[in-house]
Amino acid sequence: MERKQTALMVAIGLMWLAILYMGWKGVWLPAMVLSVFLMLAHMVMGAMHNGKLNKKFFVYPLLAWAVLWIASFLLSAYYADAFRGQVPTFTILGFHPSFAWTILTYWIGGILTLSVGLYACKDNWLSESDWETFKKEIAEIKAQGGKA
Amino acid sequence: MTAGAKVLIIGFSFAMIVVSFLIGIWAKKKADTAQAFFGGTALFGPFVVGLSTMSAVASAFAIVGIPGIIYATGNPMSFWMLSSAAFGMAYIILGKKVRAMAELGPISSLGDISDLRFQNNRYIKAVMSLVLFLGCIAYLAAQIKGVSVMFAHLLGWNFYVTGFLIFGFLIAYMIIGGEAGGIMTQAFQGLIMAVAGIIIIIGFFVVTGGFGNVLDAVAKAGTITGGGVTKKMSADFLNAWGILPGQLSMVYMLIPILGTVGQPQVLTRMYALKNPRDMPKLGLWAALSHAIVGFLAIVMGFGALYLVATGKIAPLAKADTAAAVFADSLGIWGQLLFYATVLAAAMSSASMFLSLSAGIISRDLPAALGFKAVDGKTQIKRFRITMGVLGVIAVALALTNDSMVAILGTFGWGTLMSATFPVFVVGLLWKRASKEGVATGLSIALVLNVICFVLVQNKFKFPGGIPWYFNVIVVSIAATIIVSLFTSGASGKNLDRAVEKVIDL
Repeated sequence: MERKQTALMVAIGLMWLAILYMGWKGVWLPAMVLSVFLMLAHMVMGAMHNGKLNKKFFVYPLLAWAVLWIASFLLSAYYADAFRGQVPTFTILGFHPSFAWTILTYWIGGILTLSVGLYACKDNWLSESDWETFKKEIAEIKAQGGKA
Repeated sequence: MTAGAKVLIIGFSFAMIVVSFLIGIWAKKKADTAQAFFGGTALFGPFVVGLSTMSAVASAFAIVGIPGIIYATGNPMSFWMLSSAAFGMAYIILGKKVRAMAELGPISSLGDISDLRFQNNRYIKAVMSLVLFLGCIAYLAAQIKGVSVMFAHLLGWNFYVTGFLIFGFLIAYMIIGGEAGGIMTQAFQGLIMAVAGIIIIIGFFVVTGGFGNVLDAVAKAGTITGGGVTKKMSADFLNAWGILPGQLSMVYMLIPILGTVGQPQVLTRMYALKNPRDMPKLGLWAALSHAIVGFLAIVMGFGALYLVATGKIAPLAKADTAAAVFADSLGIWGQLLFYATVLAAAMSSASMFLSLSAGIISRDLPAALGFKAVDGKTQIKRFRITMGVLGVIAVALALTNDSMVAILGTFGWGTLMSATFPVFVVGLLWKRASKEGVATGLSIALVLNVICFVLVQNKFKFPGGIPWYFNVIVVSIAATIIVSLFTSGASGKNLDRAVEKVIDL
């Protein structure tokens, strides 16, 4: 369990360094995609219980969010390039086709996955029994004269 | 602005300050222990904590400064303001861990969590407190200065009288109600921001006819000159990346989203929640209210662009005036709601940072420096005195010393993130995060914040145009992880059993 945690934390450190380096070199779109994996790694570590991640919670909200955001950045880049220096031939809800994905997938999609998803799947994140067990364990440690 | 509008703005602003004051007095009943007074620990439900979190995160700069940046450079900054999902992310990453720490012992501040995690390591607590203090005092000075200038100019009042009047009330209710009062007044101010935001957003659609019209006007405007100012516009302005290099979009996306979990105004609210199982609901309230305020900043920037592109007003001499200019176009109610929103945003952020700064000076730093612990009543008394003295000094310096405010403006979101990531994100997610590793990461953060401050004053440009704080954050996190891999203080087998349970939760 600890090895898995350590591997993830080392990956987080390496991703931070890689993103910084890519930013220095102007390779920013791949860096934005990599940053999704960086954030995903943080959330996986935070959501783990006893070193294990609930698979349903991984699929939704976490994986669903990651897919939406990667799609968001790639679609924004595609349409920014497609209409660079010109008036776009169409809009999406009135937005520039490049910016529309920031609104639809980054902003609204982000809320619908991470915020609504956390609420909808709260038992997979922290169940009542896990919380009660935790409190009991802490009480026992305190009773035994543990540092807590 | 008409005299009637000014009277309405004064009346509404005064009413808001008085209601905040009364809430602060009422909250005194709740703040009957040191934990409640300093941290509002485990006292509130998700609605109050959600609004309080959002209003403390969204400062006056979000309402006034961001529309100006969008007016000047297009959409890159929109990533920052549309980062509403950050609250859900923050709670998934650290919510249950931080709240669970409050079950281990009395938690009144972030320093207390650091003590529990790193076995009362005084160096870690001292350096973290110093870096946090830098960031907090920077935010505080910026709120005081910005709002005092704006309201003094608007109302034609004396600048010093305006500043001391607004923030004098704030200091008074924070002294009386402590952080418990702070959380409740911030929730009230957050509600004002959200309601006013909805109405101004509706006004945007009425004035512009919608985003399609804005894009059409900006795309066709070309170069506009008026009032001695020239502004060049194109459709590229309103694509996702605007007219700045793409790497800034990367930074403006990643730093607010992941950085939210490292902001003290978010971390401290995690343990203010009564029931940790309500945290998802808290995330929802914070995200929805932030979505309104974030979108408000976007529409005000877009609105100003539309007014200039359609020739209704001349190009702005100062981009910072974009939000106020757009509010003027909405008429008297738009002006009233805009100034109410700015005041609410400034007061909520200022109260949070004043309370945090006072806690650091009166409680965390003395403890870290080895001064004897005192009982709860004495702590509260010292905190109140420190809050009063610090508040008055902050207001006086912010109003009289322009260069100090400008200098402090260097520190902010990134500085706070560099102080909290090693201790809380790395420390509460990873059992092998050692005290040596975290001490190294924090020391590097402190030194680099100061060095970068000097470099920024000397117009130094970092590679790729990446903002200085991004470099500092990455180096401090990497150092924390690398040193932790080779050291073992308060980690692995030396980890406290109860803390191990928290990390496993």
